[in-house]
Amino acid sequence: MRIFPRLKFRTKLNLGMSAILVGMAVLLLPLVGTMSASSLVEESKKRGSALAEGLSVRAVDPMLARDFLRLKNMVDEQSTVEDVIYAFVQDKNGYVMVHTFQKGFPVDLINANKVEKGEPLNIQLLADGSRRIYDFAAPVLVSEGRLGTVRIGLSQARIQLAVQRQITLMAGLFAGALLLATSLGTVFARRVTARLHRLRSHAEEMLMGNLDTISGPSWGVHCWEKQNCNTPQCPAYGETKRRCWYIAGTMCPDCNNEGNFQCRLQSCRLCPVYRENAGDEIQDLAETFDVMALSLKSHIEELRGAERNLRDQQRLTRTILDVTPDRVSLVDATMRYRGCNKSFAESVGMSLAAIEGKTDFDLFPEAEAEERHMAARDILQSGRRLDTQVMVEAGGGEHWFHVVCVPVFNDEGRIDGLLRTDRDISDIKRYENQLIQAQKMESLGLLAGGVAHEINTPLGIILGYAQLLQEDVDEDSQIHQDLAIIEKQTQVCKKIVADLLGFSRQTQSAKREMCFNNSVMEAVSLVRHTLELDKVAILTQLDDRYPIIYGDPEKLKQVWINLLTNARDAMDGNGGTILIRTRLDTPGGIVSLWVADNGMGIAEDGLKKIFDPFYSTKAVDKGTGLGLSVSFGIIEDHGGDIQAISPVPEGFGFPPEAKGGAEGGGTVFEVNLPLDHQGLDGGEPEKE
Amino acid sequence: MKTCVTLMALLILAALHGGCSDEKPVEVNLSKREDLVAPRLVDAITYAYLPQYSHTISYQRHRQLLEYLRETTGLPLRQIFPDTFEEHVKMVERGEIDISYSNPFVYVRLAKAGAQAFARVIEPSGEPFFRGQIIARTDNAAVSTVEDCRDKRWIAVDPNSAGGYLFPLGLFYDNGIKIEDFETVDFAPGPGGKQEKVVLAVHAGVYDIGTIRKGTLDIVAGKIDLGAIRILAETQPYPGWVYAARKGLDPAVVEAVAKAMFALDRDIPGHKAILDAAGMKGIIPARDIDYDPVRELAEKLQLDR
Repeated sequence: MRIFPRLKFRTKLNLGMSAILVGMAVLLLPLVGTMSASSLVEESKKRGSALAEGLSVRAVDPMLARDFLRLKNMVDEQSTVEDVIYAFVQDKNGYVMVHTFQKGFPVDLINANKVEKGEPLNIQLLADGSRRIYDFAAPVLVSEGRLGTVRIGLSQARIQLAVQRQITLMAGLFAGALLLATSLGTVFARRVTARLHRLRSHAEEMLMGNLDTISGPSWGVHCWEKQNCNTPQCPAYGETKRRCWYIAGTMCPDCNNEGNFQCRLQSCRLCPVYRENAGDEIQDLAETFDVMALSLKSHIEELRGAERNLRDQQRLTRTILDVTPDRVSLVDATMRYRGCNKSFAESVGMSLAAIEGKTDFDLFPEAEAEERHMAARDILQSGRRLDTQVMVEAGGGEHWFHVVCVPVFNDEGRIDGLLRTDRDISDIKRYENQLIQAQKMESLGLLAGGVAHEINTPLGIILGYAQLLQEDVDEDSQIHQDLAIIEKQTQVCKKIVADLLGFSRQTQSAKREMCFNNSVMEAVSLVRHTLELDKVAILTQLDDRYPIIYGDPEKLKQVWINLLTNARDAMDGNGGTILIRTRLDTPGGIVSLWVADNGMGIAEDGLKKIFDPFYSTKAVDKGTGLGLSVSFGIIEDHGGDIQAISPVPEGFGFPPEAKGGAEGGGTVFEVNLPLDHQGLDGGEPEKE
Repeated sequence: MKTCVTLMALLILAALHGGCSDEKPVEVNLSKREDLVAPRLVDAITYAYLPQYSHTISYQRHRQLLEYLRETTGLPLRQIFPDTFEEHVKMVERGEIDISYSNPFVYVRLAKAGAQAFARVIEPSGEPFFRGQIIARTDNAAVSTVEDCRDKRWIAVDPNSAGGYLFPLGLFYDNGIKIEDFETVDFAPGPGGKQEKVVLAVHAGVYDIGTIRKGTLDIVAGKIDLGAIRILAETQPYPGWVYAARKGLDPAVVEAVAKAMFALDRDIPGHKAILDAAGMKGIIPARDIDYDPVRELAEKLQLDR
């Protein structure tokens, strides 16, 4: 269990100081005690020696005079000294002349210590039961003779007592010092830790988000006041929360305005403002803290501004990306998706977040993924942008996309990724095809019109001459038959020429009120015979209300005949049934015609192009591909519409007795013509 | 690491220091006591030097001479040390001092008690006479002649001192100055060492003049600056110090001692050391009659009692 790290810093300081003192006491007390004991013993020895020697000098005269009283007084004087136990004087024969003992003389003492000839003194430690005595023997010398010996006994116990007193005093001093140091240390530690505590609480407040705390002292002079500075544009001017040396870019002429903080601070050491305001390390720390908090606050505000700005930018970018119908995606160098827009995500049926990190193979069918992957790899390798159009079959139809793929370079100029934009141009493509077709038609119409106009006249002459010649020859003759063939083929040519003129709208429209049913029946009667030869039966279910329309009977008849002959052709020579149905829809203002067959039907692709000029599924010499296109033009000219449906819808009511027909479900053409011709007249003047 | 090493060194030092202080005591039993009885002193011929100087100096001066006499005569001589002139005289009178070495004035008194002079010393000056001296501080301008000593503070050695009191007193007398003419007349206090005390008292300025035996200044040469002491006058010479045998002392002993004394010869190296230590040049025979001038002086000063 780690107790020490958990203690308060103040307690640690106190403990540290106390530990140092206790350690010093433990170390020094025995040492100093021993040393002082030794020095006390030495001092006592010197004192005892001095006493003995002094006594020996003073004892000369009384000894010579054999003045026992003076000698006795002398030794008795010695015993008044606190630690002197005894003193006595021996003559040169060792006889004790005087001594300080009260009852008798301890005879053991006489020979316990001796000073040899030539020696000034001898000290001997004596032990008497519990006591220890330093015995000093000094010779009584006069001239070169020796009169006797002086002996003085000093109590070692007293010396020890003095040593003990000294050690006790020192221990007391140490204890006092410990107490004093602990008390002062507590005050000192409290003062230091109070400031640290304030710093810590301010730091905690900073962590909680309050960056307006002031840890440093509020006192001190301000540089602009102290220096009588008149530079309000200086960043330190009027600044009260920071010291001037923490502010970069001050304009003070005495300061180092360049360099880093340490360099600038170095130039502050001699500045009176600095010398008056600078404090200890904790004040420096507190002031640095305040500066940090201020800097942090301004940085955080800047960051928040930047974040807001970034968020706005992000939102704007996201909006732009998401609003655009183009499919925008970004892949990295490993060809994994790093981002895309909403349109792209919808196209692959995933969320924006789910797409990140995916590859083409995770998002697209294999063929398309392979194509995209290869394209991307080429661009990442070559760095060339890709600008192309691709057709994608999806949702049962063709979709055209304009694809732009550009490499994304990083700061080092290396390709970091790839931005791909897929723009759906199906509509544009369709318009483009229509435009091309229109231009083709226009050119063809002009050509055909020109050719037809030029051919029409000679054909008329050929026909005229053929008819004239027929009149000149016998009807049964071979020549007449040949002429008849010429006439018939010429008529065919004229028909083609007329079609061409019609296609190029070179023919003149002759619209009038006409009976719709009659127009249909005329056409039926014209082709019924021919069709019967091909085993094709025609059934009619005409609306018996005889709707009247406004149209060109000849052209409409041409349309009906064309529909009927196409229906016949759809039988593929196997024979079949054609059902013609008309219906008047008076409230809707239209009359409808359906020509249905039970032939081989039309494929789905074919249905879209069936009204295109020169589109034909027939053999090269069987059709021109102009029939339905011309019919389309005529119906449009009449303000109606025409469409083909294949196979014939269930419930159309194709008669069960219908015979023959090819496999394929048949086809039904629906023509709707308006009853009211006012709109036509108003919107498009009748052509002459 | 460094701290640890330092601490270890300190601890080791402390341990070593503690170990050094151990001493082996000698066992004594202080409770085993006896009343001591001084051994009886062997009978000896006592020899005393009039305590004009301290006992130590007296001892130093005569130690070798006594040893010489002991060796030469085979007699058990022992030097004893009376504290005062008066005590010395009394001890001779009582017979406690067998051979007395005293000044002529004291001898005159001793002679009255039956003592008999048998030898006198030749002073370091080479004469068998000696003089007294009157001294004053060199910087004391008020005292330049004997006459100037009137009404001054005088310190003398001892009322029984020859050179240190009586000879100068005679000189003053001859100059018309009586003892009552001085402001004060004091004698050197305490036992022994009186000649030196006079010089030191004058040197200290406690007294205007002092009177001493000639030769004393050499004794105190190591203690004071002799340049600070001026000799105002010297007395006439009187017979020098004298050896006297107490009344009743065996004449054979006196004969042996005198013979040994007269045998001392400065030319013999051993004897020279003895004589130098004793402050004399030699010892010659003396008769009581030699001290009549002293008796005359005493009479003149009305000291003859």
